[in-house]
Amino acid sequence: MQVQSIQTKTITTILYILLILCALAMLLPFVWMVSASLKLDKDVFTFPIEWIPSNPRWENYLEIWTTIPLGTFIKNTAKLTVIVTLLQLLTSSFAAYAFAKLEFKGRDLLFLGYVATIAMPWQVYMVPQFIMMRSFGLNNTHLSIIFLQAFSAFGVFLMKQFYMSVPDELCEAARIDGMSEYRIWAQIMLPLSKPALSTLTIFTFVNTWNDFLGPLLYLTRMELKTVQIGLRMFISQYSSEYGLIMAASVVALIPVVIVFLSLQKFFVQGVATAGLKG
Amino acid sequence: MPSKQAHIRKQLVAYSFIAPNFIGFAVFTLVPIVFAVALAFLYWDGSNPIEWAGLANFRDLLDDDQFKAALKNTIVYTAGTVPLTLISSLFLAVLLNQGIKGRNFFRTVSFFPYVASLVAVAAVWNMIFNPSKGPVNMLLYTLGFENVPGWAADKDWAMITIILFSVWKYMGYYMIIYLAGLQGINPELYEAANLDGTNAWQRFRYVTVPQLSATTFFVMVMLTIQCFKVYDIVYMVTQGGPGTATLVLVYDIYNKAFISWNLGSASAVAMVLFALVLIVTLIQFRGNRKLQ
Amino acid sequence: MKKVLTIVLVLSLVFTSVFAAGTKETAAQASAGETTLKWALWDIASTTYYEPLIKAYEAKNPNVKIEMLDLGSADFMTMLQTQLSGGDSSIDVVTIKDIPGYNNLVKRNLLLNLNDKIKSEGVDLSLYGGTTDQISVDSKLYGIPFRSDFWIVYYNKDVFDKAGVAYPDNDMTFAEYDALARKMTSGVGANKVYGAHYHTWRSAVQLFGILDGKNTIVGGTYDFLKPYYQMVLNQQKDGVVQDYATLKTSSTHYSGVFYNNSVAMMNMGSWFIATLIDQIDQGKTEVKNWGLAKYPHAEGIPAGTTLGTITSLGVSNASKKQDAAFDFVKFVTGPEGAEIIAKTGTIPAIKNAQVVEIIAAKPGFPTDQASRDALQVAKTYLEMPLHERAGEIEVVLNQVHDEIMTNNISVDAGIVKMNDQIQKILAK
Repeated sequence: MQVQSIQTKTITTILYILLILCALAMLLPFVWMVSASLKLDKDVFTFPIEWIPSNPRWENYLEIWTTIPLGTFIKNTAKLTVIVTLLQLLTSSFAAYAFAKLEFKGRDLLFLGYVATIAMPWQVYMVPQFIMMRSFGLNNTHLSIIFLQAFSAFGVFLMKQFYMSVPDELCEAARIDGMSEYRIWAQIMLPLSKPALSTLTIFTFVNTWNDFLGPLLYLTRMELKTVQIGLRMFISQYSSEYGLIMAASVVALIPVVIVFLSLQKFFVQGVATAGLKG
Repeated sequence: MPSKQAHIRKQLVAYSFIAPNFIGFAVFTLVPIVFAVALAFLYWDGSNPIEWAGLANFRDLLDDDQFKAALKNTIVYTAGTVPLTLISSLFLAVLLNQGIKGRNFFRTVSFFPYVASLVAVAAVWNMIFNPSKGPVNMLLYTLGFENVPGWAADKDWAMITIILFSVWKYMGYYMIIYLAGLQGINPELYEAANLDGTNAWQRFRYVTVPQLSATTFFVMVMLTIQCFKVYDIVYMVTQGGPGTATLVLVYDIYNKAFISWNLGSASAVAMVLFALVLIVTLIQFRGNRKLQ
Repeated sequence: MKKVLTIVLVLSLVFTSVFAAGTKETAAQASAGETTLKWALWDIASTTYYEPLIKAYEAKNPNVKIEMLDLGSADFMTMLQTQLSGGDSSIDVVTIKDIPGYNNLVKRNLLLNLNDKIKSEGVDLSLYGGTTDQISVDSKLYGIPFRSDFWIVYYNKDVFDKAGVAYPDNDMTFAEYDALARKMTSGVGANKVYGAHYHTWRSAVQLFGILDGKNTIVGGTYDFLKPYYQMVLNQQKDGVVQDYATLKTSSTHYSGVFYNNSVAMMNMGSWFIATLIDQIDQGKTEVKNWGLAKYPHAEGIPAGTTLGTITSLGVSNASKKQDAAFDFVKFVTGPEGAEIIAKTGTIPAIKNAQVVEIIAAKPGFPTDQASRDALQVAKTYLEMPLHERAGEIEVVLNQVHDEIMTNNISVDAGIVKMNDQIQKILAK
């Protein structure tokens, strides 16, 4: 008994050491980022690194709102991100249900079509897509970015993978009970896929929030631009003002972190606890 | 025996599920992609009239130094990044799935690199791995290493730097997928294994790994595709250099499309990339099927 | 679960309704008889001459409005060309940032041939000091230069004074420049002063080689670059200049290096004058006193031979207001525009004695005669001459430059590589 508890203790200690090392590797760059955001440009790259600036320049955080319209950019990005995420969640889980649990003609072929496009780098069809979008009059509208991001093959692929792990018997039983497929999706599958949905939410949110090339190409009017373009504007126009760049980066990071923190508890309640056992 | 009508009804229901996503997807992604595929057999600069090229765009690739370097680098990058990310994200997910204190904190922290804007983290990363004054090399010096790596500035180390950066940036992302997968494993399986008196490694090997095979397959396919498509990381960290040491296929595509405005040639490279991904994915599908 | 969904839905509705106003088109309704021209350019916030140019033009032409379209500097030519792809008529006036991009725009038939308009409007091309010849394609002109920058040597007077060394003069050969850079190098650690500084651009080092006028950078043989690469690599090895690899991986901007008193001399384009004056004025630098000297030159070549960068304005082929657009181009590129540009400390394409006076008279410009004289240029060679394959050649030149400067390849092997690959491109 005694031996075993010592053994468990050692294992736990090793576990923590490993985790702390990992956390350090993950976090240090961000600590650097925050510390740089509080420095004068010329002090940013001094060595050895001064982790806590002796004279923190909080002005950097005030200045970024006036040098570029960062407020507008954040508002735009928030709007785009929320709409895209919702559309993505709804349409992907809907389609994924059919791919995972229904029999229909051309299912495998259509799914292959989805998977195949995941493999296609956007740079390849960026120009034809742009010309097409513009001919629809979508250039310089937020709709272009919404259409660009909301129907990604990735979402369907991810949701389908999760639905596949749900036993078919569950759907069969519901069908025998006389439930329509729509109700099965809404009342059985959707609640079961909470972890998958939160995963997809986070990924879509992050992708849309951090998307750079799409908005750069489609949104050329100042009042439509997004945060990442704002960051890039900072970097190209104030290329040596690292303090400001880092302050803007920190601000751009905050919303994503909030979304992650508020959603991550859903990962914990897993598929198992949510429905399979009950 | 279902009637023909019921059968048709069933099909229609299925299509109605797919339609909302598929219509958007077809119009805004599939159509441009089909057009891009056709471009591989055409000459087009995005403006002047399109001309027929046949296989000329592909033939030109055989003698294209940029393309050859990019092809080799992309394969090396993928071969390095996929296993490393897979193992480290699984490892991290299993660690974080234990009932330990502060796991929310650790989970959040490991997701940070993924959510952060690439522009910002690449700048930080470059500073930390700076060959002459970065803290990493400073540390190596103090530990007594004489020949410290040149990281992004050295032909032989640049690719390793890119791979390390990718693993660091995307580990958290795949860790989340694994975590969700781990949550899906029925705890009774572990309880049963515990009763059999297995140790942690055996439980991992005989319960966790097989139960995660669907997740692993998903992660592997997504990772492979993502690696083949790598562009922005390379752009931010090494710009494809030194020389062509980290020039990857999408970088070459970008150069061909937007520097030379040779959209046909860019599409031809994309087709090669596409074929590569397809082959690798099919092999993975096969392997996956065999495992199950 | 239902609760969560409801919350998400309600939240999203709130979000969309709050932000819906943002999507509405707020395009200003043009009043009758008013023409609005869209001018594609970059970095509105940090460029000082756009505003005064537009104000002056709109004052003269009250029924014309100029709208700026900022496509960002980093990917400007790519963004511009994508926007113009497939015949978009929303952009009227186009800024041309570099020669490979200009070459593509012309090849892709996206720019208006200005020859007829130049003739009918009586634009005097002789004012442009030959730069218009350098961008003529088959004797057709698709853009008129409005800025004509050239490379000069910036030096930090305080650093020279402290070392008790005479300032660089306006007639330096490369050997003299090398010797001076070495003489000015001193100190270690925080007190280290580098004699010279090369930014990571290919132009800053490689193009020393074309200044004798005997070779061009698109010729297909590059053996003439050897002595210059050797000079710079030796300087790097001896700690006379900062290590290229370090600069590259830390994306160090050249301005920061010059601001903090750690380099004695830096070769850079004349666009840096306006920025430098502005930043010193705002107190963002440690450097206080600086001067200018003419670019170093090869033995037997007159002083004032240097590299040039032309920025031009063109008219989009798809524009529906080409006449109005050309009138604006004519104004900006003409003598009036030149004066306005010069007042902001930027070198306009029309470079007469008066323009040089204006720049030199700008508060913050060095007051000594030598620095003023440094603005007198004898001959300029384009950083990249007009060539059908300029884009592809540039890709290879950049790659090999990177390899040589990071010591991943020897100078000789690098030159062989350039020769091989570029000859292959030229043979296509």
